[in-house]
Amino acid sequence: MSQYVLVRTIRMDNVDIGLFEHDRNNTLYFYLMNADEQIYMRYGGRDSAAADTYLNLDSLAVALGQGLELHEKYKKSELAKAPRPKPSFPREYSLLVERTFAKNQCVECHLIGDYVNLHREKDKTLDKMTHLYRSPDIKTIGIYLDVPKGLVVKEAKAAVAEAGMKAGDRITSVNGTPVWTFADLQHYYDKTDRRLAKTVQFAVDRAGKSETLTVTLPVRWWYYDVRYRQSSVDPRLYFESRPLTEAEKKDRGLPVDGFACEVTRLDSFGLMMKSHELKVGDIVFGVNGVERDPYAHTAELYMKLNLTPGDIVKLDVLRDGKRIQNTLTSYRLSFRK
Amino acid sequence: MRALLLAVLSLPLLAAPQEDDSLTWLDNYDAAIKEAKATGKPIFLEYRCEP
Repeated sequence: MSQYVLVRTIRMDNVDIGLFEHDRNNTLYFYLMNADEQIYMRYGGRDSAAADTYLNLDSLAVALGQGLELHEKYKKSELAKAPRPKPSFPREYSLLVERTFAKNQCVECHLIGDYVNLHREKDKTLDKMTHLYRSPDIKTIGIYLDVPKGLVVKEAKAAVAEAGMKAGDRITSVNGTPVWTFADLQHYYDKTDRRLAKTVQFAVDRAGKSETLTVTLPVRWWYYDVRYRQSSVDPRLYFESRPLTEAEKKDRGLPVDGFACEVTRLDSFGLMMKSHELKVGDIVFGVNGVERDPYAHTAELYMKLNLTPGDIVKLDVLRDGKRIQNTLTSYRLSFRK
Repeated sequence: MRALLLAVLSLPLLAAPQEDDSLTWLDNYDAAIKEAKATGKPIFLEYRCEP
């Protein structure tokens, strides 16, 4: 650590969020860089299970060592510099200004993430598959890292195993962009187009030899549990569900390619708000007459992707074998402070 | 949870034996750039939520 200039920032007021662009739902996030504002690597990242799944002192030590090596290359002018991203500052977001600067309150990281998305929602540029389901879980495609060792694969399963990834491989690039840490991997994997990409390419170091692996992305590779995000662009539906199997859909006379789902849990806050009258065990198979969607495998996900908080919709529901209709009012999360 | 995480990450780094007293954390980004230019060191920049 003593070989670095150490700086800690807890207020984002004047930070160039164009240059330091990362998933704002991280409690801690680090950059290793030089005085020319050239970023060598990032350190941080998380999954839906915990904020510290990928934070580890051994892997941080690995990153710090790699950072010093890159810095030596920089000093010898051997390191190519990527173009600097367009500068952007929190004050450019009027809704964020009203919420923080105008009230003399801290511009917290997660507020930047949320208010940037609120502006996208207002400008109709919000794409929830990309902006809400940010930082997809690499375990969905089968990458299980040996966390203390940085990007060394502990276990390769599913799609990456089919592509040839093996335990012991060290991931070195994603779609051609070099990666040094889990945060790098998560950041650049996140750039994969949710709708158009069919594959993602990883380079790995296997016993000193570089291998390129083309991984076929599974359906909904970007989908994971985003509840920890507490994002106000995520409409509150106040129920949870599971997708019906094909056989279950056939048994109930529902389209097999539809997004029918079974309600598994009700949120007591939703009952208080009278958001809906769903019951555990209800099958929700239609939303405003729509029963299928190319991206959603449940009516719950369909609504999360397509509703703006506050929207009211008609649900087609199967309850005890009878088709009924139910109204659902979605709500927007409001921050307490 | 956040406090625990910060403790886990910070203590061994900031309160490491021998090194704790010698490590200086700046709280100003521009000052860090200036010091990195003067010393030739790389920068370790931390963003964390305000406790």
